[in-house]
Amino acid sequence: MQELLQYALSGLVTGSIYGLIGVGFVAIYNATGIINFAQGDFAILGAMLAISLVSVAGLPLWLAILLAIALVGLIAGAIERFAIRPAGNNVIRGIVITIGVGIVLQGSMAVIWGTDAFPLPSFSGDAPIRLGGATLPSQAVWILGIAAAVMVALNLFYRYSYLGKLFRASSINPFAAKLIGVRTNTMSSMSFVLSGSLGALAGIIVAPIALTQYNGGLSLGIKGFVACIIGGIGNPVGVAVGGLLLGVLEAFSTGLLSSGYKDAIAFVLLLAFLFFRPEGLFGALKSGRR
Amino acid sequence: MKRYLSMAVVLAAVCLSGSDYLINLAVIVGLYSLPALGLALLWGYTGQISLGHAAFYGLGAYGSALLSMRLGISPWLSILLAMAMVGVICKGIGWLVFRLHGHLLAMATLGMGIIVHIGLVEMHWLTGGPNGLTGVPPLSFFGWELISSTQVLPFIWLVCLAALYCSENLIRSGMGLAIRTVGESEMAAASLGVNVPGLKQAILVLSGLFAAASGALYAHYIGYLSPGPFDVGFSIKLLLMVAIGGFAQIWGVVFGVLFVTILGELLKPLGGYDIVVFGALLVCVILYCPNGLLQLAMRMPFKKTLAARGGES
Repeated sequence: MQELLQYALSGLVTGSIYGLIGVGFVAIYNATGIINFAQGDFAILGAMLAISLVSVAGLPLWLAILLAIALVGLIAGAIERFAIRPAGNNVIRGIVITIGVGIVLQGSMAVIWGTDAFPLPSFSGDAPIRLGGATLPSQAVWILGIAAAVMVALNLFYRYSYLGKLFRASSINPFAAKLIGVRTNTMSSMSFVLSGSLGALAGIIVAPIALTQYNGGLSLGIKGFVACIIGGIGNPVGVAVGGLLLGVLEAFSTGLLSSGYKDAIAFVLLLAFLFFRPEGLFGALKSGRR
Repeated sequence: MKRYLSMAVVLAAVCLSGSDYLINLAVIVGLYSLPALGLALLWGYTGQISLGHAAFYGLGAYGSALLSMRLGISPWLSILLAMAMVGVICKGIGWLVFRLHGHLLAMATLGMGIIVHIGLVEMHWLTGGPNGLTGVPPLSFFGWELISSTQVLPFIWLVCLAALYCSENLIRSGMGLAIRTVGESEMAAASLGVNVPGLKQAILVLSGLFAAASGALYAHYIGYLSPGPFDVGFSIKLLLMVAIGGFAQIWGVVFGVLFVTILGELLKPLGGYDIVVFGALLVCVILYCPNGLLQLAMRMPFKKTLAARGGES
């Protein structure tokens, strides 16, 4: 019984990371209709930058985190401007370009930081928290809290703010959005900056409990995408639930079956949803599926 | 026909040169051309994205190696059996995935590729896990074992040239027209009475057969298998080769494979930078020369001669 609680709790923690990566996908998809295959690499890049800013530059943790998030946002914006925008509206070209960008990011990280894995200090001490027989690192509370806050904020943003509505408009029908004066190019740039920052945030808050390595981006990115597919791509709340579901299922299968097949669980879920319920559990915002 | 003869002449020259480096290069280009050709048929002509082609290559390699080792049958037979197995698997996968389009298809095939790779690593009792399989029997030709690269080269290229020939014929045939129509617009193809799902599945099966044949030949040539070469990285390398070749060009594929292989060799002294160059190259090719590097190179002198002629008149 205790073990089951432990699996469920640690599943929720990893699940909220998947959810955060997932909303990074949603941010770009909602504005451009592109799925960014380099999303996981944004997370790793953010974590690596934060780690270096703390350990090499000696900055305080909070400043290092803010700087790393801003830097990854800027890099993501530059990627949009110089690699994504020239490709136009073709989905397949967009996909292949983001794959190429992901390889460049991953390769650059291997060159800069080497192939070792690095830790980031915990946000508030290392004392674990006991909860009805299960033990959680204190960082887990930070992860759950930050993820929940970000999800709520994003959902409000997309639903009620003017800018959020512009984002959705340029996704549903870019041409009509242009006609009424939405600058779709600016929207696209902003969505990449937002998505890069979200990805970096996810990578940074998980860094204290999981070592960060240059090649972790691909599997992290795919898990985030699976969260999107489960929840219905386009809907941040659905994606958050999808991430939690995936995290919990993964934790149980790791505990009860074997850890080697952990990654396969995500793919089996991905394929099952793609084939039987491609619109996800909650349906999409009916944003333009191109 | 000229191209096949000149290719044969070049290969014969490579064999006669006695340079191990050139011969190995030719063998590798031959081996990689097969799966890349399959991917070009699927992606370039039929317009269906696949990010999991390394899986078919890996299944062919492991399938043939295990069949010949466990059952003790001749490698020639095991290659054919492995190909048949992969063909059936492709038919099933095609039935499943081709109801998806665009990025969903890309993710589904990527997921499939990663599942197969995880299977190769985790199923220790069958595949030897990360340590791999040793002692895969070499091919033999009338009792003459094909071990060195020089001995293997003619067989690999025979298969490769046959595949090139078949693909060229296929593309020129009536079915080829249907394939290219599907690549342009599935709706238009369906309205003309083309069985779109069936055609896509057939091309995936053909593409998988090419990849499996290459993987199986690789297994019996190297004699040792580990899951490493069959990961997502290889699928993406194939994609780069096809993109450099220009997606929908049969012979462009061979050029793309040659280009990427030689570039990989040249970049080896730079260590980790090679992957950065490959990624950047992929982005640039997609953005600036969607018809392949060869097309770009051919276009330039042509433009110059046009300009020169214009000046004369």
